[in-house]
Amino acid sequence: MTDHSKHPSNLSFKFSRENILAFSLILPSLILVFITYLYPAIFTFIISFAEYDIVRLKIKKFIQFKNFEFLINNSFFTSAVLRTIYFGLLICLFTSIFSFLIALLLNEKFIGKAFLRVMIVLPWAVPSVVSGVLWGQMFHADTGFLNALFYQLGVISSYKIWLADPLIALHIIAIAEIWKAIPFMTLFFLSGLQSLPSEAFEAAAVDGANVFQRFFYILFPLMLPIVIPLFLIQFVLAMKSFDTIFVLTRGGPGGGTTTLNYFIYQEAFETFNLGRASAAAYVLLIITLAVVLIPSISRYVVKIFWGNK
Amino acid sequence: MRTNLLLKKFFIYVFAFIVFLIMFFPLYGLILTSIQPENIIRSRNLSFFPKEIIFSHFAEVLKPDHISNLYVGMKNSLIISILTSFLCLILGFPAAYSLSRLNLPAKNIILGSLISIYFLPTILFVIPLFVILVSYQLDDTILSLAVPYTAFILPFVIWILKSFIDKLPIEVEEAAKIDGCSTFQILFYIIFPLLRPGIIAAFIFAFILSWVEFLTPLIFTNNLKISTVALGLFRSTIDIKIGQQAAAAIITLIPVTILMIFFQQYITKVVLTGSNK
Repeated sequence: MTDHSKHPSNLSFKFSRENILAFSLILPSLILVFITYLYPAIFTFIISFAEYDIVRLKIKKFIQFKNFEFLINNSFFTSAVLRTIYFGLLICLFTSIFSFLIALLLNEKFIGKAFLRVMIVLPWAVPSVVSGVLWGQMFHADTGFLNALFYQLGVISSYKIWLADPLIALHIIAIAEIWKAIPFMTLFFLSGLQSLPSEAFEAAAVDGANVFQRFFYILFPLMLPIVIPLFLIQFVLAMKSFDTIFVLTRGGPGGGTTTLNYFIYQEAFETFNLGRASAAAYVLLIITLAVVLIPSISRYVVKIFWGNK
Repeated sequence: MRTNLLLKKFFIYVFAFIVFLIMFFPLYGLILTSIQPENIIRSRNLSFFPKEIIFSHFAEVLKPDHISNLYVGMKNSLIISILTSFLCLILGFPAAYSLSRLNLPAKNIILGSLISIYFLPTILFVIPLFVILVSYQLDDTILSLAVPYTAFILPFVIWILKSFIDKLPIEVEEAAKIDGCSTFQILFYIIFPLLRPGIIAAFIFAFILSWVEFLTPLIFTNNLKISTVALGLFRSTIDIKIGQQAAAAIITLIPVTILMIFFQQYITKVVLTGSNK
C-alpha cells in the first residue's frame, strides 16, 4: 500500500520537472508570438465596436454594432467579400490543377529535371512586389510583352489597356498569384506522389486499367487527403494577398480588384477609419476560420465515402 | 510497346518545355526590359531576342539619389532579414526540441495553434501594432520590423525544425543522457550539429520570408526614415521609366535567387520532411 502510493507521487514529480523544462524552452517563443498576435487580436476586436480617434490614438466612443451594420449595408463591402471568395477559389483551383500536373511531370524521369525544378521553385522566392511589377510589365498598355505577342500574331488589332478593365484586371492579379503559388504546392504534391504505394498502380496495370482509369480510380482518391488541405491553405493564402493588388491596380479600376484584405487596408490606412477596418478584419477572420475548419469536416466525409483504407 | 514508350517520352519533353516557358517567360521579359534601351522597349516591333544590350538602367538605379533608394534598401533589408532569421532560430530551436522530444503538456494544441496563427490575415494584427508603435514612437526603426517579422515567421520555423528533429535517431540522445549530459548539453553538442540541414533550411525560409515582406514595412515605416528593398522597388513604380523599374526588380531578386539556386535541395527537403510523417 505504501509502495503503491509512493510510486505515483515519485513519477509525477519526475514528470513535472521535465514539464517545467519543456515549458521553459518553448516559453520565449510563445510569449513573443502570443503578445504579437493575441494583444492585437483583442485590440482589434474591441475597436471593431468603437469609433477610434487616429490623431489622439484613443477610443472616441463605443457604438455597438454600428461598424458591422455599416459594412453589411455597404454594397462596396459585400461585393468585396464576394469578389474575395471568387478570387480565392479561382486561385486555389487553378494552382491545384497546374501544380498537380507539374508534380506528375516531375515524378517522371527526364533529362534536365533538376534544372526545371529550380525554375519551378524560383517564383516562390520572388517578392510579390517584384511579381507585381513583372506582371504589370507583361500586361503593360504600351510596352507589354503580351500586347507585342498578340499584336504580332494578329490576335489583337491594337494595343490593349489590360488593367483598365476591372474584370480583366482581377484575373491578371489572379494569374500573378497563381504563378507565385505554383512552386510550393507542386513540391507538396510531388512529395505526396512519391509516398504513394507503387503496388496499386502495378496491379491496376496488370488488370488492364488504362491511364485515365488509373488516374481517376487510384491516383486521385489516394492523393485526396493531400489535395484537400493544400487546396484550403491556398484559399486562405489567396484571401490574404495584398502586395500584387497594391502594386498592380491599388484596388481599382472602380474598386473592381478590391478584395476584402485590400478593403481593410484602405479603411485603416487611407480613410483612417480604424473601427470599421477592424470590423471588416473580423469578417475576414471569420471567413478564414470557416475555411480552416473545412478539413476536419471533409476528413469526416472522406472517411465515410472512402473509408476502410 | 516501344512506340508507346517513345510517345510518352515525347509528351514528357513537350510538357516540360511548356512548363518551363510558362514559369520562366515572365522573368525573361523582366530581364529583357532591364537590359534594353527605353525607346526599344516602347516600340511596337518588340523582339523577344535583344539586339542591343545596355546596363545603364542598373547603373541609374544604384545611384544613391535614385527614387527607389535601393542601396539603403538593400542594406536595411539584409540587416532585418539576417536579424529576423537569427531571432527565429534562437527562439525556435529550443521550442522545436521541446515540442519534438520533451514531455510537454498539450503539445498538439500548442503546435496546432502556432501553425494556424500563420494562416490568419496579417492585417488583423497590423492595425493595433501600428497604433502601439506610433504611440511609443517606435515606428520607422529596424526593430519595429524585425520583431514583428520574427513573430510572423517563428511558427513556421518551429514547424520546420520540429519535423527535422523528429527524423533524428533518438538513440544518440538516450546514450548521451545515460552518460550524464544535461538537456542543454544535448541540445547544443548533439542535436545542433546533427540538425545542420534543418537549421540551414529554416534560416533560408526565414530570410526569404522577411526579404519579401511588403505590407508590414509599408505601414510601419510611414515616415520613410528607413526603407526596405520591397518598398524601394515599389517606389520605383511611381516613376514611369520602365527599364529602371525592371532593373530595380532584378536587383531585388538577386539575393533570394542565389539562395534558391544554391540551397534548393534544402527547400525541397523541408517539404519532404514536413509532409512524410
